[in-house]
Amino acid sequence: MMFFILLASLGGVLVGLSRQLNGRLSISTTPLIASFWNHAVGFAALTGLGLFIGGLLPAGAAEAPWYAYLGGPIGVIFVAAGSWAIARIGAVNSALLIIGGQMVTGVAFDYVSAVPASFWANAGGIVLIVGGMMISRGRRKIDRSQ
Amino acid sequence: MTIEAARNPHPIYFAGAFATGGLLTFMVHLNGELARYGNPLFSSWSAHGTGIIAAVILLLLVHRRRRPKTEKGLHAPLWAYFGGISGAATVMLTSTAVNSPLGLSGTLALGLAGQVVFSVAADSWGLFGLPMRRPDRRDIAALGLVVAGAALIILFGRGAA
Repeated sequence: MMFFILLASLGGVLVGLSRQLNGRLSISTTPLIASFWNHAVGFAALTGLGLFIGGLLPAGAAEAPWYAYLGGPIGVIFVAAGSWAIARIGAVNSALLIIGGQMVTGVAFDYVSAVPASFWANAGGIVLIVGGMMISRGRRKIDRSQ
Repeated sequence: MTIEAARNPHPIYFAGAFATGGLLTFMVHLNGELARYGNPLFSSWSAHGTGIIAAVILLLLVHRRRRPKTEKGLHAPLWAYFGGISGAATVMLTSTAVNSPLGLSGTLALGLAGQVVFSVAADSWGLFGLPMRRPDRRDIAALGLVVAGAALIILFGRGAA
């Protein structure tokens, strides 16, 4: 169990590391070029892994709806936007806002697609998130007045 | 991008980062659909493949009109090109953890914790070539609220009823 806990936590660390490296690359190039390299290098690594362990072309893949393949293009914008943001507002603020945005839209998405959910836990969660984002924005106002 | 701009961020950066989180929701959903028909490796592999195509199209559209400034100076260090490796490794770790007793919510919650600890360390020490900005009490309070809210949604909100 400890092993899986470490894996899951390390997954989060790698998300932050990826954003940090792409952000650094985007300073020397542009966020879109950083996003291109992120996908090209990731694709090469996953191709190598897939050739090694197999499973690169699973049987059921042909039945997937066409729009399921739009995750990739959305990912390009996501990585570019993350690289753009982290170079300007830092790792903590980027993580805070991206997590907040993901959670709020995730809850909305679940309600639209009628996924059963606990209203009070979600509502409480959104209040905490919006409160946190307002605190972080409040500091910026003070900064600008200096 | 100057250091001055980094110290005095415009609200548009905050709005942009928040909207980016919204994109993540749709991306995770679509990649999850692909993994359901195939497997997580195929999902991530094809998302990176279609991403390359999309990036090339966008670069042709954007950078033909607005050439990137050549006097940007500073070349990127080689390690800055390896963000994609870190992202690809994430897919393997999380898809392994999801299929353990941790489940989806446990994996998401721990991933959240990992991301927060890393981002605080990265800002505090200016890791990997980005500006150092020591998080103050308000940053930590804001982060605490967002993490508490996210944990509440992940552990008790979504699909709990």
